[in-house]
Amino acid sequence: MITNVIDRRRRAQRLLLLLAVTLPLAMLLALGTGAVHIAPSDTLAVLLGGDRGQATLIVQQIRLPRVLLAGIIGATLAMSGAAMQGLFRNPLADPSLIGVTAGASLGASVLIVAGGSSLSGLAGLSLVSLGAFAGGVLAVLLVYRLASSENGTSVATMLLAGIAITALAGAAGSLLEFFTDNERLRQISLWKMGGLDGANLPRLLLASVVAGAVLLALPQYALPLNTLLLGESEARHLGIPVNRTKLALIAWVAVGVGTSVALVGTIAFVGLVVPHIVRLLIGPDHRTLLPASALAGAILLVCADALSRIVLAPTELPVGIITALIGVPFFISLLRQRHQYGMQT
Amino acid sequence: MRSLTLCWLLALYAAASAGQPVTVVDFAGRTVTLSQPAQRIVALAPHIVENLYSAGAGDRLVGVVSHSDFPETARALPVVGSFNAFSLEQIVASQPDLILMWGSGNGAGALEKLERLGVPVYVSELRSLEDIAASIRRLGQLAGTQAVSEAEAQRVETGFADLAGAYTSAEPLSVFYQIWHRPLQTVNGDHMISQIITLCGGSNIFADAATLAPRVNLESVLARNPRVIVAGGMATAHPEWLQHWEAYPGLRALEGGLVSVNPDLIQRPTARALEGAQELCGKLAWVRAQP
Repeated sequence: MITNVIDRRRRAQRLLLLLAVTLPLAMLLALGTGAVHIAPSDTLAVLLGGDRGQATLIVQQIRLPRVLLAGIIGATLAMSGAAMQGLFRNPLADPSLIGVTAGASLGASVLIVAGGSSLSGLAGLSLVSLGAFAGGVLAVLLVYRLASSENGTSVATMLLAGIAITALAGAAGSLLEFFTDNERLRQISLWKMGGLDGANLPRLLLASVVAGAVLLALPQYALPLNTLLLGESEARHLGIPVNRTKLALIAWVAVGVGTSVALVGTIAFVGLVVPHIVRLLIGPDHRTLLPASALAGAILLVCADALSRIVLAPTELPVGIITALIGVPFFISLLRQRHQYGMQT
Repeated sequence: MRSLTLCWLLALYAAASAGQPVTVVDFAGRTVTLSQPAQRIVALAPHIVENLYSAGAGDRLVGVVSHSDFPETARALPVVGSFNAFSLEQIVASQPDLILMWGSGNGAGALEKLERLGVPVYVSELRSLEDIAASIRRLGQLAGTQAVSEAEAQRVETGFADLAGAYTSAEPLSVFYQIWHRPLQTVNGDHMISQIITLCGGSNIFADAATLAPRVNLESVLARNPRVIVAGGMATAHPEWLQHWEAYPGLRALEGGLVSVNPDLIQRPTARALEGAQELCGKLAWVRAQP
């Protein structure tokens, strides 16, 4: 048993190292690929500050913000997913479960229908993105309120409330779509498809500040999350301020995922499956699970985005299709190797 | 005096044609037979409504779908649903003697559902600019209003032929047509807008794309470096999209090649596409005239 733990820890450190080396390589590769062929030597020269005419423009202004944004968003989604699965002790938990995604979609739809898309908002974000962020955070607050009583917050109630609010927001969104005109309908559907092609410097800056804070904050809760795996009352007896931890985790996840949805729309799957894959590989210790999930999520989204740019070039595929196509077969093969995984959490 | 004679002839013609059986082949290759010209028509797409008005039979409409907003009088007609979610009950209640459906737009199985109502169904599916005049002609036959529809069909045909004569052999221009800006979306060669670009002596830089309205990559626009960038949109013109291109100084289109058009005219396969084509051809000619 002891050797098992040590073995696991060593494996976790090896995986972290491997991921930390792979991420910059994946980013370099993504910077070098695209609809336009740019030689690797030119890409490197541009990154080191050289001037290669159009290549400079493409690499610095188009690819670089996009690849960095993909990395940051992928990391935030995956780490948030890992934290949610730990908090809810439920393998199906992902950030959309507490209503963020559906709330954000509804917020964006409301603003598009109200004509907000013609107005510009703050810091490179459209008013629609701000609406999405507000919608996401409001939905989470509502879910949290519904699940809270004087006896604390019930995780089971919160899951159910999340499902209810998600369904309600989805229905309200569909109703809006039904009554709106063609142009706005198109805007809503394009917004929902999401995508990283809107990446620019102001958005990247915003993402780095907000998501950076989330990425630094969540690992602080690694030990309470580990203790919570024993069960809530056990954690309380061991001195963990359970309700405060829950509130903090949910707030950070809401901010992180809300920002990501506001910036790039909904990208399903990264937050659900990446933490599972990492947990299958190195076990449920959140001290390594959280950072490893973040790195793996970043790698997955950077690679998926690069593929979405080149598979059908010059046409772009929605990135969510690629994340699922890459991740699911890998996940299923891991599941087949470890049948009992679904039982433990 | 001449117009009075024409009116009289028309009235005579209409009287003679009433009661005559009508046989028309629709765009799906089906033969549609009516015992007499249609008097009560339900149309299940905005462009069909528009073409029916062009054929002189707009007053026969007893049911349309939402977004049937042209001509203005169409807005007042009873609505039987939207193009992809219409009510069969409403259609039956409006007692039509002809249903005009949209082959690719009304959803799978729509034809079977409508045929079961026991009312003749005509399938409209316009793929090219030539189909516009053909469609107006066939709708005129169905409603027995050939006098109006034939004249309108000829006007449209002559209009397009004039544009082709004036521009098809003009100095070729590479064109990027924006139907959306964020995400960047354009049309491929199968789209009617791309056919209009060709008619005006332009070549669509994304004619080879895989899907009808693909989302495209910003860097491939820079690489294909079009001479002209046209800002379209969905319903209203979006000239403000053109400003975004100024961030990329290598673009040839920045030298007098940024134009915007009214997309409402060219997004439906109707007679208004001629006006839209005239506008776009004029804009491209203006770009050609730049030093």
